Amino acid sequence: MSSSTVSRARGGNGVRDGNGLPGGGGVRGGSRVRRQLPTSPWLFAAPGLLIISAFILYPFVSTLVNAFTDRRTLIPGEFVGLANFRELLHDDMFWIGLRNSTLYVLGVVPALVILPLLLALLVQKNIPGIAFFRSAFYTPVVASIVVVGLIWVWLLDERGLVNSVLETIGVGRIGFLSDQWLLLLSAMAVTVWKGLGYYMIIYLAALANVPRELHEAAAVDGAGAVRRFLTVTVPAVRSTMVLVGALSSVAAFKVFSEVYLMAGPSGGPAGEDTTLVMLVQRTGTGLTGRVGYASAISVVVFVVTVALMLLVLRADRRDES
Amino acid sequence: MPVSRRTLTAAFTFCLALSLSGCGSGGDGGGSTDASGKVEGDITFQTWNLRANFKPYFEGLIADFEKKYPGTHVKWVDQPAEGYADKISADAAGGTLPDVVNVSPDLVAPLAKAGLALDLDKAAPQYRKEYLAGAWASHRIPGMSGTYAFPWYLNTGPLFYNKSLFKEAGLDAERPPKTYDELFTQALELAKKSDGKVATLANVPTIEDFGRYGVELMNKQGTAFAFNDAKGVELLTEYKELYDAKALDPQALTATPESSGKKFLTGAVAMNPGSALDLGNFKKQAPSLYKNIGITDQITSTGHVNMYVMGVMVNAQTKKTPAAVAFAHYVTDAAHQMSFAKQVAIFPSTAGSLDDPYFTKEDGTDETRVRVAAAKSLKTAVNYTPVLFSEQMKTALRNEVAKALQGKQSPEEALDNAVKACDTLLQQQG
Repeated sequence: MSSSTVSRARGGNGVRDGNGLPGGGGVRGGSRVRRQLPTSPWLFAAPGLLIISAFILYPFVSTLVNAFTDRRTLIPGEFVGLANFRELLHDDMFWIGLRNSTLYVLGVVPALVILPLLLALLVQKNIPGIAFFRSAFYTPVVASIVVVGLIWVWLLDERGLVNSVLETIGVGRIGFLSDQWLLLLSAMAVTVWKGLGYYMIIYLAALANVPRELHEAAAVDGAGAVRRFLTVTVPAVRSTMVLVGALSSVAAFKVFSEVYLMAGPSGGPAGEDTTLVMLVQRTGTGLTGRVGYASAISVVVFVVTVALMLLVLRADRRDES
Repeated sequence: MPVSRRTLTAAFTFCLALSLSGCGSGGDGGGSTDASGKVEGDITFQTWNLRANFKPYFEGLIADFEKKYPGTHVKWVDQPAEGYADKISADAAGGTLPDVVNVSPDLVAPLAKAGLALDLDKAAPQYRKEYLAGAWASHRIPGMSGTYAFPWYLNTGPLFYNKSLFKEAGLDAERPPKTYDELFTQALELAKKSDGKVATLANVPTIEDFGRYGVELMNKQGTAFAFNDAKGVELLTEYKELYDAKALDPQALTATPESSGKKFLTGAVAMNPGSALDLGNFKKQAPSLYKNIGITDQITSTGHVNMYVMGVMVNAQTKKTPAAVAFAHYVTDAAHQMSFAKQVAIFPSTAGSLDDPYFTKEDGTDETRVRVAAAKSLKTAVNYTPVLFSEQMKTALRNEVAKALQGKQSPEEALDNAVKACDTLLQQQG
């Protein structure tokens, strides 16, 4: 940073004037400082800003604009006002997508908030060989979702391992991949299984900060393991639970890969397992893609996602107060 | 560091302006439809998943072209099969579509409508007579005049069946079904004898099935779909019966070509469409199946099997129209199609090529048997898939068919809804 820049920056708090001289005209110098922002910080931030503008800001604004047009992949389209949003209200597939994405949040988030915490408590103890289990639980996180999806499809196939076992023990074969609800549940199970390790690591970090004295004091007072968990551990990691809840609810609402891989490109039998993001992909891609309409669905996904985040954060603030 | 409101407003306005300016295709590419000039310059040729297996062939072909036309340079790019349409749409929207592109008729239609495919009836009418009339017509778009791609190779996959499954069900493995009526009868028998454990088919009916059953797919003008007629309803009703009897695999509603192929390999289904290439896979992955493999023609009640057409399109906005047209023709001329057909199990679309002894004489092997049978059926084959039938329409039909098979709506309702959805999409295509 140049000396003149430093001087101008200091001038902002009234120590020096706009020319870096002490005791200069306060008001005039202050206004010059506001007008002439230092350039060096902007230069440092420029690469990041450029990337954010190109890959986040521009696509975001572009999606917003497209949502009000009838743009198609190869045809720019024209402004159509709220026509796309009105069409959404009458599109059965949109409501199916909204239903499935909401069910996904309701099914996956509680499991991803609670199970990784229990898992973290299990692997938190420093006993011989525990590193192996920590690694094992984390392995699904680093595995490719495509590979994971295909493996689960093989396992849950009508003639797959799971059905063979079920048949052997007399339960009979279950159509995990042919029934719309079982398919959705299977995809949720895969999401939970794959996400356990990731959130477990977050909880492990939070648990490391829980003072041991609190547990010891509770134990001295006669609290059992369950009571200590509910009265010491849970309050101590509550903010982490909120974070996990917020992260997993946003991810769950935007689910694509698991359902796409297990239900197929058509979104399960009669498209009944289609999620909103799958609908965006199906509607907006390809040479005949309806970019405007797909953008309108994306805007709905964005609004709901932001609403989910706000809801979780608000619930947290209410609990705190 | 505080960021002024003015800076934020400027950034937002910049992004808005960029968005409004759009990046859709424009008609300002400045390409010429005149292909009569000197063949020279650099062009790009894009193929569809061919480099892995045919690199030497294409490198040789390009070298020969460059030698024949000094001053030309062809850059060959190959794209994976997965997401090929998305790659083309991204290129087309971004103005980076290669000069010569490997396409199928359904990909050509939106490109032609957007003014990105060169009309060969205007730019290169002299080549028309070199190709089979049906193949040349396969890249015409209803509602538009002109032909928008050179026909390249043709294919018509045979139908494979598992002879041992047929025998176990008491069926004559040497007389597989040829028509849909025979198929329905034998499939129900097979399901009954195997107590629902062996299905005959792994896929729900597609638009090609409706075509092969004899259903009128579109009106004469090509402006609306018509597969919800009595014949279409009849076909779907038969499939519903198959589904209820488990003669159609329970996972057919979510099947993909890959999952169907796997089910055939494991003996879960008795019949599956394929190509001569699959024989090698059967030999390697399922030797016991390979010993019992039966090969028959596609099921058809019209007497005409379905034909898949591949084409080579010239970008209407190319700056090197003469070189691009010359190269597209070079790739698809009779000599090179014949040469390519000897590399892989495909069939030339050039007039007279199918009469070559290579396509008419058997040498006793399964490969030649499949090849000769396919070449024979290709002479009367039909490309049933309407060129305007988009991916979104395929999904709409598939979903409505699935609802009918599940009993959520009647076959009539399902097809009415499918036609309505496809017509809406057709109108939205413009």
